[in-house]
Amino acid sequence: MAGYLGRRLLMTIPILVGVSIVIFITIKIIPGDPVASMLGPTGSPEARAALHARLGLDDPLPVQYFAWLAHSVTGDFGTSLARHDAVAPIVFDALVNTLILTLAAGALAIVLGLLIGALTGLRRTGIAARIGNAFALFSISVPQYSIGLLLIIYLASNAGLFPVSGMHNPNGGGGFVDLFNHLILPAITAALVPAGIIARMFRSSVLDVMSMDFVEALTARGLSRARVMRHAFHNTVPSLLTVAGLQIGYLLGGVVFVEAVFAWPGIGLLVYQSITQRDLPVIQAGVLVSAFAFVLINLVVDALHGLVDPRIRT
Amino acid sequence: MPRYLTRRRRRRFTLFGALLATLSLLVSACGGSATSAGGAGGNTLIIGMTASDIPVLDTGLAQGQGYEGLRFVGNQLYDGLTKFDLTKDNQIPKIIPDLAESWTPNADLTSWTFKLRPGVTFHDGTPWNADAAIFNFDRYTNKSSPQFYQDLNAQGGLSIAGIKAYKKIDDLTLQIDTNGPWAYLPSDLATVYFGSPTAIKAEGNQGFAEKPVGTGPFKFDSLVRGQRMVMVANDQYWAGRPKVDKVILRPIPDPTARTAALRSGEVNWIEVPPPDDVPSLKSQGFQVLTNSYNHIWPWVYNMTKAPFDNVKVREALNWAINRQALVDNILKGTAEPALGYVPHADAAYEPADDVYGYDPAKAKQLLAEAGYPNGFTMTLSYPTSGSGNMVPTPMNTALQADLAAVGVKVELKPIEWAAMLNDFFTGKIPDNADALNISLSYQQEGFWRSWFGSDSAINAGKYSNPEVDALFAKARTVLDDSARASLYSQAAKQLGKDSPWLVVVNDRNPRVLASSVHGFVQAQSWFADLTQLSVG
Repeated sequence: MAGYLGRRLLMTIPILVGVSIVIFITIKIIPGDPVASMLGPTGSPEARAALHARLGLDDPLPVQYFAWLAHSVTGDFGTSLARHDAVAPIVFDALVNTLILTLAAGALAIVLGLLIGALTGLRRTGIAARIGNAFALFSISVPQYSIGLLLIIYLASNAGLFPVSGMHNPNGGGGFVDLFNHLILPAITAALVPAGIIARMFRSSVLDVMSMDFVEALTARGLSRARVMRHAFHNTVPSLLTVAGLQIGYLLGGVVFVEAVFAWPGIGLLVYQSITQRDLPVIQAGVLVSAFAFVLINLVVDALHGLVDPRIRT
Repeated sequence: MPRYLTRRRRRRFTLFGALLATLSLLVSACGGSATSAGGAGGNTLIIGMTASDIPVLDTGLAQGQGYEGLRFVGNQLYDGLTKFDLTKDNQIPKIIPDLAESWTPNADLTSWTFKLRPGVTFHDGTPWNADAAIFNFDRYTNKSSPQFYQDLNAQGGLSIAGIKAYKKIDDLTLQIDTNGPWAYLPSDLATVYFGSPTAIKAEGNQGFAEKPVGTGPFKFDSLVRGQRMVMVANDQYWAGRPKVDKVILRPIPDPTARTAALRSGEVNWIEVPPPDDVPSLKSQGFQVLTNSYNHIWPWVYNMTKAPFDNVKVREALNWAINRQALVDNILKGTAEPALGYVPHADAAYEPADDVYGYDPAKAKQLLAEAGYPNGFTMTLSYPTSGSGNMVPTPMNTALQADLAAVGVKVELKPIEWAAMLNDFFTGKIPDNADALNISLSYQQEGFWRSWFGSDSAINAGKYSNPEVDALFAKARTVLDDSARASLYSQAAKQLGKDSPWLVVVNDRNPRVLASSVHGFVQAQSWFADLTQLSVG
């Protein structure tokens, strides 16, 4: 098991290098000069040239890339072009905020997905199942951006039940309860799509397992319904883990819109904003850190797989 | 499915329902406390900005997140030698003394003597004097000084373009020499801010942005990146303590969320509401403030090729669009029709500068005279968002319909703002389109030459007229403000004949304040004076 995890961990290195090269090249290909957006209309051509030279933007691409790589492996992601500040703390602050949102949304998605999946899988007809199916379909199809705005308008602004945006009360203080209140609407918004996907997957997995011979066999041997269900549930866990793990991974990158709508100061909003400013060091570090988190989450899922399913532990 | 399990399943369903109900109760209970804690308490102004992050807090770098940074950070934490008088809403802001009490130029306007204001200290107690001023000018411009900051120099742009040399005459007297006659040096200097030399030395150039220290009406209190910046009133402010105790800046980039934050009481001031929300905000008792300022939203014609190398075509389009309908229907009164090249809030404005109107018949006639009786097809490159660009997509779609009525078919080519700027700053129109939509201003007088001067590196449409160039050159040598304004007005009249742009609207700088905010005056400026307002 340890060897397996070690190998997987080592494999993340080429993945991250690949990701960084792709980002680097993409940013260089798309039009837009970071210095131009930095200086605005009042910048003189001389000032632009001087800044270009100082930031090393005139060097050949491979030189720029390796200079960046050499610094990055020491944890120095450089200086933000737009914020004139070290990139690492900016990105890590944002990552923590995104992780909070992702984990809350992930937990919500799993709970909702399991409940609805089980409901619709165990009871294929009836009003509750229909509502469950409709909800699953709705939550997959609805654009996060619109649902976020609707929640803001109706629950936060009109009804006054929740704060409209941000992560903390601007007057400061508040602590955990304050954070929790700010978290509810963005977490619901972000959780909808993965909840729907998990529900639909779990439903078919429940249907599959419930039609297997062992369920009938166990029932025939007089096991109680609860114990039968426990065995059945155990059989759905591997596929559940895979889907839930992937969904949480996607959430990491997919909360961009949610963060933008709710002004949640996370990594999605940071990278989005940095793209409009062509702030390459922040984009590079932000995407890399997200990719690393994605890989790590998948690693954890694999490890859990190993725990629940001895067959893949070799 | 075996039937005998139905009862148990029903029980499970009941359990599930109970769980949901408990969850929703819990959620609404917590939510209830959220609103009471989220509101603005006391004499505190909470501003919902359009920026998606807090601007950089270091002097001139504050404009890095758009000019909102100068408005809410630069002018609040810092002072310049001069400033705009923002206390009146019925006049174009004049340049008045700030950290300098007075100034006098030599006869040919190449050397200026500034008398500095005595008795002013930075927020950390460091005295303001000629040494502090020189320290900051070195930081902006002197490459051999230890505190020189390349980023700041680059961002200084037009504001420091006129400065050639500077020296201390005595503790409270400073001499600035310019690159040739520079009549508008005092107005350029309004956005050259001064930071405490003690703090800059202690924190270093980059670190200073984390602990900024100026002389301005508000002192830095705290910053949570991406979330909020808190400033408190400077009790020692030389012009008197601001009436409001605390100002909190919050980045809320989404316009709908911004309006919702105002409605729920989380903020009591928002910038740029979506035009569609303006009528309902008014009816709900919010103060919807607008005023003219120095802003213009044109299409810059590509004059290097047909059909816009023809002046009649350029003029024709200016008669074909219904600006008032655009203002009424799409912008809900948050802008005013632009009928010429000078915004109404520019000192150069004279009624005679308004040269165009809405007359589709005249447009058709001009097109026929130009040899296009059946119109033509053109491309327009426009940014989909960006500072000052208002709501570009619906606006350009409306213009497209107006122009189609006179036979001009417009193909809209949206482009991302940063990509557009990249071309614009190198003097190009993206994709070599026939026109470029952008928002511009003459807030700094040097902009006139930037947009229209033959020798400007960022004159994207390639307009060139020696007469206009001569007027801009002459303006630099004329000290009297109104005489200089009349030179720009003459230039604008010539522009009216040459029609280098399709002029569309001037923005009216919409912002919305809660009814609890008292005493704010919306000046005819991009900037805002926060010292005279109070909340409660």
